Amino acid sequence: MSGVRVWTRELMGTVFSVHVVGDASGGPEQRAAEDLAAARFFDEVSGIERIFSTFRDDSEVSRIRRGELDFASADPRVGTVAAACDEAETATAGRFSVHWRGGFDPTGYVKGWSVDIAGAGHLEPLLREPGIRALGVNAGGDVRVWSRPETPWTWRVGVADPARRGAIVATIELTSGAVATSGTAERGGHIIEPASGRPAGGARSATVVGADLATADVWATAAVVAGAEDLSWIRGAPVASGLIVSSDGGVRRFANGVELCIVPAA
Amino acid sequence: MKKIVYGILATLSGLVLLFSYRTSLGEAVPTDVQPAQAAPSVATPHSAATPSASTTPTASASASASASPSGAAPAATSGLTDGTFTGSATNTRYGPVQVQITVTGGKIVDVQAVEYPTDNSRDRQINERAIPQLVSETLNAQSADIHLVSGATYTSQGYRDSLQSAIDQANA
Repeated sequence: MSGVRVWTRELMGTVFSVHVVGDASGGPEQRAAEDLAAARFFDEVSGIERIFSTFRDDSEVSRIRRGELDFASADPRVGTVAAACDEAETATAGRFSVHWRGGFDPTGYVKGWSVDIAGAGHLEPLLREPGIRALGVNAGGDVRVWSRPETPWTWRVGVADPARRGAIVATIELTSGAVATSGTAERGGHIIEPASGRPAGGARSATVVGADLATADVWATAAVVAGAEDLSWIRGAPVASGLIVSSDGGVRRFANGVELCIVPAA
Repeated sequence: MKKIVYGILATLSGLVLLFSYRTSLGEAVPTDVQPAQAAPSVATPHSAATPSASTTPTASASASASASPSGAAPAATSGLTDGTFTGSATNTRYGPVQVQITVTGGKIVDVQAVEYPTDNSRDRQINERAIPQLVSETLNAQSADIHLVSGATYTSQGYRDSLQSAIDQANA
């Protein structure tokens, strides 16, 4: 017998939810620990948002963009993120970039990264509680999960159909890791191809499974920019699996560096 | 119930693996590939119309599909037959590639590229059952069974009407 408790908070322009799977035996002390962990998780993400948001004039990133603050004087996390973004830009051959909108804009990296950081700091320790089996976060459609190693619990993640609201195109089962989806679903063309500055075409959405959400998010963005025709990047990318929904509704999926297709053969 | 044989084609490798696919419609799915040599080595007891499985990989001309299930059993909930299937190595423009996949409970639970091009050999393994399972492949709707939704990016206002919110309320 197990139950899922859920907390939500508005953050980074969307809604974050924390999901805790516990045994029914969990008592009031465990529930209090869960409440506290979820609150601290949200608070840390909120603190990261205050530093990095390009929508707040007083954020450190906004001040850096206006030339009022240099990296050396900024919060050390800004330098950490900037370095990680540079690595991601190189690894994805420029398909992921924080410089496309004029100046330093790590918005596309920070959400996933904040889930990894705040999750490791405040949620993962909950797995030491005997009554807690698994933890999950959904950050506006980007998912990170953790599970106790020997637990029978498996997270089932649905991949939203970018063309049909409320429907899913695929399911992914995992106990620990991240599922990130980028694309044009529900928010319009918010993926911009860095080279051209125009909305990326060919792929409606791309979903990538990886060990952590920052990495999965980077490669989901890169996959949308690459488009539905080009899957050459999957062999070298540090991702486990994923799928691309093309603009004509077709689905291509891959795992372990190779594409998988089912073709009628009878 | 008529049986239809499906091949799983790893297009990067141009490699075909044969599968049995059961459908309640009982219609043969038209093939878009050329008849070739492979015989169906996956068969369930009630295969009415003996399917002569024949596929040619679209990406490469020379792969001969050879599926060897270890412990084939009809899947109750999906179209894929349980077992481990290994395709023969085939040459692609990336070099020789060979793939092995494992199906359990009708789902693809493992994909191993057992042979990669020599210039990029790597021994990667997915420990998780993290392979996307397409909803269109399953005979039952799995959507009622999911915990988290990836991709339905919602605004703060939109969350209330989101699939994730509905799931959360159902679990509460």
